[in-house]
Amino acid sequence: MTNASPTTLTPATVMATITSRFPDALVVSTCGYISRQLFAVEDRPSHIYLVGSMGMAAPVGGGLAMASGRRVLIFDGDGSFAMNLGALPMIASHGRGVVHVVLDNGCHDSTGGQKMLPLDPAALARAAGYASTCLVRTEADLALANGAATPLLVHAKVARQDHPVPPRVPYQPGELTLRLADFLNLKRQPSNRST
Amino acid sequence: MPAEQSEEAITSRADAIVDFLVNAGYTHATGVPCSFLKGVFRRLEAPDSSLTYLPAPREDTAVGWAGGLALGGACPVTLMQNSGLGYCLNSFTSFTQLYGFPLLVVMSWRGRDVDAVEHGIIGHALTGILAAVQLPWRVIDPDDPASALDWCHGAAAEYATTAVAIVKDPA
Repeated sequence: MTNASPTTLTPATVMATITSRFPDALVVSTCGYISRQLFAVEDRPSHIYLVGSMGMAAPVGGGLAMASGRRVLIFDGDGSFAMNLGALPMIASHGRGVVHVVLDNGCHDSTGGQKMLPLDPAALARAAGYASTCLVRTEADLALANGAATPLLVHAKVARQDHPVPPRVPYQPGELTLRLADFLNLKRQPSNRST
Repeated sequence: MPAEQSEEAITSRADAIVDFLVNAGYTHATGVPCSFLKGVFRRLEAPDSSLTYLPAPREDTAVGWAGGLALGGACPVTLMQNSGLGYCLNSFTSFTQLYGFPLLVVMSWRGRDVDAVEHGIIGHALTGILAAVQLPWRVIDPDDPASALDWCHGAAAEYATTAVAIVKDPA
């Protein structure tokens, strides 16, 4: 994929549309601008915003779906997706309920817009065995991301992040874990002692 | 190369490790195999295993998946060779340790003694690296595997962090 066809679709629009379509889903977002933008679009106790571990949103979301039996939305970037293609066969085999959204702006936006190697996330997901994939270039195309067959990969061609970038997520990571545990009514509560 | 170990000894240690995991309530296992853990993986891959085992392509991806399982209320264990530690350092330090949930890692210790050349540097540095990134660890006593596992299980829960049980004798 290249940036040959500029898009006006924003990451915020993709996030708002998909999170409102699946209001009961758990949500994992990758580090950098994507977590900050998701928090600005909407914050729920079902959201886990990753602040580090670039490349890990996909396996974290897969494990979350497997343990909870719930629908899980993963908001990945094209850079973080490329970083961990090994997660794809795991999600293909065990990621029932996963809607894996790759927000593709063609660059490493959070670190200054450095260039990316071109890649085709939908083709890679299909090759790994995802049940369905779709390519989204416009707001109308987002209707394709209906989650009928999962795991689903949504390749969303998006514009770069609007500036000013929303602020960092104000919660400490451990608070997000406890908030999610409360939301899921987990019997095994993680300890409250922070690291 | 390490001295050959009897099949009986390997199976006995593997059984002790997996029996501990079952009794402690572990539900899922993921990771990347090591020949020092082949008895453990054999048990996990058995059709009657009470833990659900998912092979992972690389150790850091296994740690990410295990973290997602833990956040979702399951009780996962991650298994790997110490050669996978380098891949995992960022997954530990900026995810599993930072987000404050218990996670048990069972890690084989290649290169502790005379071993293949590729294990030497990481084998020598292993416990120093774990200490440097604040990962609590214990080495499993081959005659009493449950003891170190129980300590790591308890430390992970008590401090809501990742703890590493090190397997120095093939199991």
